This record gives sequence, C-alpha cells and structure tokens, in this order.
Amino acid sequence: MSTPILSAHNLVKHFNAGGFGAARKVVRAVDDVSFELARGETLGVVGESGCGKSTTARLLVQLLTPDSGGVRYDGKVVGPEMPLKAFRSKVQMVFQDSFASLNPRMTMIDAVAFGPAVHGVAKPEARRKAQDLLERVGLDPARFGGRYAHELSGGQRQRVNIARALAFDPQVIVLDEAVSALDKSVEAQVLNLLMDLRRERGLTYVFISHDLNVVRHISDRVMVMYLGEVAEIGPAERLYNAPRHPYTEALLAAMPSLDPDRRTLEAPLAGDPPNPIDPPPGCRFHTRCARAFEPCASRVPVSYALGGGHVAACHLNTPKEDVA
Amino acid sequence: MTLPPSQSETPLVKVRDLCVRFAGTPPVHAVNSVSFDLAAGEVLGILGESGSGKSVTLKTLLRLLPERKTTITGRVEVEGQDILSLQGRALADHRGGVASMIFQDPSLALDPVYTIGRQIAETVIRHEGVTKRDAMARALEMLELVRIPSAKRRLDNYPHEMSGGMRQRAMIALALACRPKLLLADEPTTALDATVQIQILLLLRDLQQEMGMGVIFVTHDIGVAVEVSDRLAVMYAGSFVETGSVADIIRDARHPYSRGLLAANLVGAVPGTRLDAVPGAPPPLSALPEGCSFAPRCAHAEAACGVSPIPVWTGGGGRWARCVHASRAEAAADMGAEL
Amino acid sequence: MAVTADSIAQLATVEKSRGYWRSVGARFLRDKVAVCAGLVAAGLILMAIFAPWIAPADPLDGSMIKRLSPIGTEGYPLGADELGRDMLSRLIYGARLSLFMGVVPVLIAFAIGGAIGVAAGYLGGWVNTITMRVLDVLYAFPSVLLAIAISGALGAGILNGLLSLTVVFIPPIARVAESVTTSVRKLEYIEAAQASGASSLRIVRDHVLGNVLGPIFVYATSLISVSMILAAGLSFLGLGVSPPNAEWGLMLNTLRNAIYVQPWLAALPGVMIFLTSISFNMLSDGLRSAMDVKQ
Repeated sequence: MSTPILSAHNLVKHFNAGGFGAARKVVRAVDDVSFELARGETLGVVGESGCGKSTTARLLVQLLTPDSGGVRYDGKVVGPEMPLKAFRSKVQMVFQDSFASLNPRMTMIDAVAFGPAVHGVAKPEARRKAQDLLERVGLDPARFGGRYAHELSGGQRQRVNIARALAFDPQVIVLDEAVSALDKSVEAQVLNLLMDLRRERGLTYVFISHDLNVVRHISDRVMVMYLGEVAEIGPAERLYNAPRHPYTEALLAAMPSLDPDRRTLEAPLAGDPPNPIDPPPGCRFHTRCARAFEPCASRVPVSYALGGGHVAACHLNTPKEDVA
Repeated sequence: MTLPPSQSETPLVKVRDLCVRFAGTPPVHAVNSVSFDLAAGEVLGILGESGSGKSVTLKTLLRLLPERKTTITGRVEVEGQDILSLQGRALADHRGGVASMIFQDPSLALDPVYTIGRQIAETVIRHEGVTKRDAMARALEMLELVRIPSAKRRLDNYPHEMSGGMRQRAMIALALACRPKLLLADEPTTALDATVQIQILLLLRDLQQEMGMGVIFVTHDIGVAVEVSDRLAVMYAGSFVETGSVADIIRDARHPYSRGLLAANLVGAVPGTRLDAVPGAPPPLSALPEGCSFAPRCAHAEAACGVSPIPVWTGGGGRWARCVHASRAEAAADMGAEL
Repeated sequence: MAVTADSIAQLATVEKSRGYWRSVGARFLRDKVAVCAGLVAAGLILMAIFAPWIAPADPLDGSMIKRLSPIGTEGYPLGADELGRDMLSRLIYGARLSLFMGVVPVLIAFAIGGAIGVAAGYLGGWVNTITMRVLDVLYAFPSVLLAIAISGALGAGILNGLLSLTVVFIPPIARVAESVTTSVRKLEYIEAAQASGASSLRIVRDHVLGNVLGPIFVYATSLISVSMILAAGLSFLGLGVSPPNAEWGLMLNTLRNAIYVQPWLAALPGVMIFLTSISFNMLSDGLRSAMDVKQ
C-alpha cells in the first residue's frame, strides 16, 4: 500500500474561552482526529457548526499549530522532517469567504503572482504564470488581471482564489466551504472547474462542506465529524447508502427531499448542534442518539473497522464476540 | 398533506404586473411585470438566485422598501385590499396583523435589548389592544406553538441567550403572534445547520396547516422548496419565467433556466460527472437585455429570443413557461401528435 | 518557459482599473464640506508659508503708543496687541508656529505609534498584551495633564513642547494601529499569505501596511487640531513656545488681561485656533468617509 500523500495523526486543538483556574472554559475544537489522504483522491468532510472541520483544515495546512499530534506529508513529519516552506508549496487552501481572501489593495494578477514570487520565481515570470492561470480558471487576464477584488463577482473571486492556490503547483488543495457562499448556478460552474483541474493535474482534494449533495458528487471518500471528533469515514457510496453511525444517518435524513410525493415527515434530531465547550462524556453524540445504549454514556467509542476503508466510531459496531 | 387551495373567488394575494424600480444612475429594475395569485392556505415557493428580485417582491407585500428611492407600479392586493396605497395606521395594521415576515437572520427581527416575551407581547398589544397579562399569556402560547422547550423560562430570555435554531423559532413566534393570514418567508433556513433546517421546515409546514395561512417562501435551494411548497415559481432577472406545481417543475421543467437550476442542485446528477452548468452570470438589473433576459446564457437561444414579447407556453391550471423554445417544442409535439 | 517579447507585450495589455486611491479621491471631491475644509486648511498652510510676503508689518515690532488699538485702527487692520504689535501680522506669523506645533508631533507620533501598534497587532499574543498595557498606562492620563507634566519636567521651549506632545499622542495612535491591524490580521487573505510561506515581515509589508495605514492616517489627522490646542494651552501656561514669538496660544495668554478692555481683540487668536481645528477635523472626517465605503 502506497504512502498516503497527506495524513493527520491524533490532532488535538483546544482554545481558551475565558475564565480562570477552576472556572476556565476550554473549547475542545478538535479532539484526537486522524485520517489519511491517498494521492489523487478527494476526501469530503461534512459536519455541522462546532464539529471542528474548519479547525481541522487549518491544522492540516499548518495555519494553526496542534496542541498535540502531527501532520505528515508523504510520510514525512511536517516541521522536523519536511521544511515548512516546502510543505506550503505542496499543500494549499481555498477559503469560504472569497472577498476576505483577497487583499483589497492588490490587483488580481498581483494576488496570484504573490505566491510564486515568495518561492523565488522572478517577477516577470510570476506575472506570466499568473496570467496563464487566470486564463485557465476562465478569467480573461486582459480584462480581469488589473481589477481589484471589489470589482469582481463572488464566483469570479473564487476563481481567482483557485488560481492563486494553483500558482504553487500544489499536490493537495484543501477547499474549506469554497463553493458554499456562491449562487447555485455559479457553484455548479466552479465545481466543474474543480473537477476538470483535478483530472488535468492529478490533484488531491480535501473538500469541506455542509452540503451533503455536493460532497457526494465530488468525493471518493467522506469523513463525518461531530463535536471535534471523527464519527465515520468511508467510501462515499458506502457511507451514503449504508451509514454505520447514527449521526451520519441523521445528517442524511435531514437532507430535504427532492420528491414532492415523499416529503420528510419527521426531523431526525431535536435541538441545535451543541457547543464544544463541555462535550458529553463517553460518546459525544449519545445525548441526542436514539439508539444509545449502555456503554455510550461512559466509554469513548474506538474507530471500529468495518472493512474496505470504512470506519465508524460507534458502539453499535462492536463485533459480536466482544459483547460480554 | 396540505389542504387543497380553497375555491373562493378572491385569492388571498393578487399581484398584477408588479414593477419595482430603484432610483439611481442607471435605475435598477428589480421586479419586472410579475403577476400571480395566492389562494388562502396555499404555499407558493419562489425559486431564484441572488439578484433575481425575489426578496424585493416579498418586501413589496409588506411595503418595506425605501419610499423615496422606489417606484412601484402595478396592483398588489391582499385580502382584496390595495396594499400600495396604504398609509399610516392602516399600513401598520397590515404589517403583522394581516401579513408578516420571517428572515434569514433572526437578529433582523429580534431586538437584542428586550426579552423575547416582551417583544411578542408588544406586538399583540399593538394589534389587538389586550392587557399586558393577556399578551404575555399569548406570548407563552406562541413559544409553545413553535416548540421551544421550557417555554415559560424562555419568555425572560434575551435573544443572545438562545441558540441559532431557537432564535429562529422565536422569530417565527413573533411573526405569527397576531395570527396573520399571510406569511412571507425570506430564506429563513439558509443560514441554519442541516439538522436544524429540517426541524424548522417541518415546523413551518405544520404551523401553516394548523393556522391555514397563505405562505410565500423564497429560497434558492430546491430541496427546501419541495419540502414546504404546493406550487413553485422560478424567478430570473426580476420576472417569473416558469410556474407550476412542485411535481411539474421538478419532473418536467420547461424553461432552460429552471432546468439549469435543477442541474445545479444536483437533481439527477451522476456523482463524479460534469454538471450541466449554466454558463455566465445573471444580467445586471440596471441593464436588462431585449427580449428574454436569459437568452445570452441559453443553449437553445435563437433570433426570436431577442424580441419582446416572448411567447408563453401554458399547460393549464397555472402552469406556464415564458420561453420561445418551450412554446416551439410544445407546438412541435402537438403537430407530431396530429400526424 | 522563457520570458519572450510576446509575453511582455501581453503583460502590457493588462488593463489597469481605477485604483483604490483614485476612487477615494473621487469620492472625497464629491463631499462639498470636506473640500471646503480642505481649501481652508490649505489656505492656512499657504498663509503660514508665505507669511513674510503677506504680513503687512513686522510681528515683533511694537509701539507702546499703539498698544491695544482696536480693530480697524488705521495701519492696524486687526488692531494691536498689548505691546503695540500689529495683530494681523502676528496672527499670520502665528500660523507658522501653531501649525508646526500641530502637525509635527502628530507626524512623529504617527510614525512611532503606528510602528508599535502594527507590530503589536500583527504579532499578537503576549507581545501584544504587554505592549498595549504599558501604553494604556500612558493613555490613562488626561492628555493635557500629561503634556503639562512632561513639558514642565523638561522646561519651556519649542523642542520640549514638541517632545511632550509627541509622547502624548503615541498611545492613542498605537491603540488605533493595533486595533486595525488585529482586525485585518484575522482576514483570510492574511491566512492565505501565511499559507504561501511568506515571512512575517513580507506579509506586513505587502499585505498589512497597505490596508491599515489609511485608517491610522485618518485618525492621526484628526489629532492635529488637538495638538494645536494642546500646544496653545502649553504656551498659555508658559511652557512650550515662549515670548516674543508669535503663536496663537501664547497670544491668548498675553492678551488675557485685555479681555475687559478689548474683548474682540483678545478673542482673535482663539478664532484662528477654532478655524484651524475645525477645518482639519472636517478634512479628516471627509477623508474617513471617502475611505470607508467599500465600492
């Protein structure tokens, strides 16, 4: 089995939320998250507010330092075995807010050329590369190169952001809700662009989104997160057709129906996604789970292997022999 | 199942040739000749993207548009009453008493410095003139109606003390406090998490049936529209381009934009394949093209599409699509049937 | 691929859109109040620069006979002060020192306070906390008292006055700089720049400065009038500028006793201070509005 191009090992990240001493509040944003990314595959990451997917993305790209755990690129630990700057040219990120992602005082061509320039490419060369990339993402460099962020539409800005990520010739691109803020028809265009680029350049994607339909469409494997932990990972079709974690089931059931004759009759979950400040003991989902049973409130579920790369952190998957 | 629309002569909402123009250089034509009826107890879903004019249409029904900058022409009637000429007290009575609105962001409707109970009670007192105690009782009733747990305690909560989903429910309670006949919903679930969104959609559906309200629900998400609507209207560049029952639009969309929107919502998409994306972007509302405003992006566009008026294909019973291609395809099918 | 003549020609055809500063300028010019204020401020500055050519008389030339002549006296269009010097000339020359004491401390504080604030804002963490809390100590003093205290300790004189005013303005400017930098730092384009592997210094230079200098500058210009008034106050108290120099604050002091005899005369330096402060204030307000609107 070949080395995964990117892997996360037991990532932990907590944030302080005020308070001192005994009353200190800690946001357990990411708690022991591990996963692997094979070269050329697309991993979809889904979850609701507070699940930690954005924090995980930033930990992956080294924009945040984990409290413990690490990230490996091609098997080498980032930092000690692989210099950070080299890592940065291999793994890039596209953010959700297309406007905030662009320096309002920079022209689009300068924004795209900045990355190569940082890595030692001469300015004229970097600009030419930027022009080529703008062209590739569907923006005529003569018309758009000299413009500023506020003069472009959301879809156009996001294309610039994609061009900017591509300017590094990366192997992996992390897309953090990159299409979520766009209108549906623009989203479809950008998704097509992402799929074309993936095919042309053999890119690996981490595609974070709250839209389960889009994730299913673009991903090979899908990871479901809840309250800072991984609930389930597996091949997309398997996960969508036969989920093995009650939260995944609930998420799938919560998707609005597209068939007017078969509308949703009952909401799968009550209440809002909880705050990761004081997660419940044992399985973090047990307080809302319809199928919670004896071990759920006390024992943290391990990642039960279900074969074929499918893993679910739910006691319901305990192999029969283990049940005493 | 929803009740079938009542067969009274006067629909709850009657809109004819509504045009809304915002002053500016150049002026912005936000809504262009929109006409529709809404029967009492019926739910109309307006599907459109940003810049389609859907929010402006809703706001016109409550007269929430800035008076000085806006020119509104056409007829808008709610319960037989002309909305566009309402002034002063009559207008205030209309807002909240006859028609009410819920928004995408609850903080637009909820005042952060008053408790929820107080805000709901205030509306009730204004519209029905009851005592403070009765108004508070009604507030409690409303919070229970929208299924907020521990409703009695929540009466004294401030908006910031509640979670997102609960704030949304509180906003719905506020909007429904005076039992309006018409509820206007402007993308109320767009910013919510999936599991909360479905709860709110089901709640709205149940409340609509219980209270027999007419609802106009604006959204860009087809799944959401399917869950709550009886009928759909697809809106583009300020006009309706197609209307019909939900089943009709989902299964047999006639207008190329409707089909494009369905494809963009991944209806019938095979995972991993390229989507049938509509190229380009909507035209600016200050510079609409001649003829069909969708033609510049349409794969089926032809010379006839640049000429107004665009022929309307009708399928009877409120089903129609304004499209040269759709009209021609239907005519060809008819001819084929005859031969 | 090599850089060919073709590609250079292509680079040349990238259409330059209307830059940020051009649109700020256009918006500013549409604001009539701001433009008026700008013209008045410019006029005052010109008056200060060309004082020797504009002033009818020598500001230091006194005449005890003409002492406290009222406004409109022949040869003394705005009267004469308590030592018989021509008020008009003294007011014109006074602009030099007053504007100098208004602008220079703010400029220096802008450079120093701006640097401290941007650094603290970008670096964050404990560096930020310690720096800002130390500055808070200075900021806690009312500016007038602080200026007087420092000036008093150092002694009278223009240089000491400048120094004390500069110190007074460093904390507020640093505060604004830190706050603006902190809010910019959270934006995704800074994260993207960090993800590109650029060094912190480069990120600050290429991405942060361009976006924070504007608001800091606007805030600083609003302090010019404060600085002038503080300088006037210092001179009034005998610190800062000393006689026989013409400076509006000093003139207010020396004409203090004349207020019962020639009230209009005694008020004239105050009028100049008022006029200058208001025009600089409105100018900075106009700049702020012009820069505020996104698109």
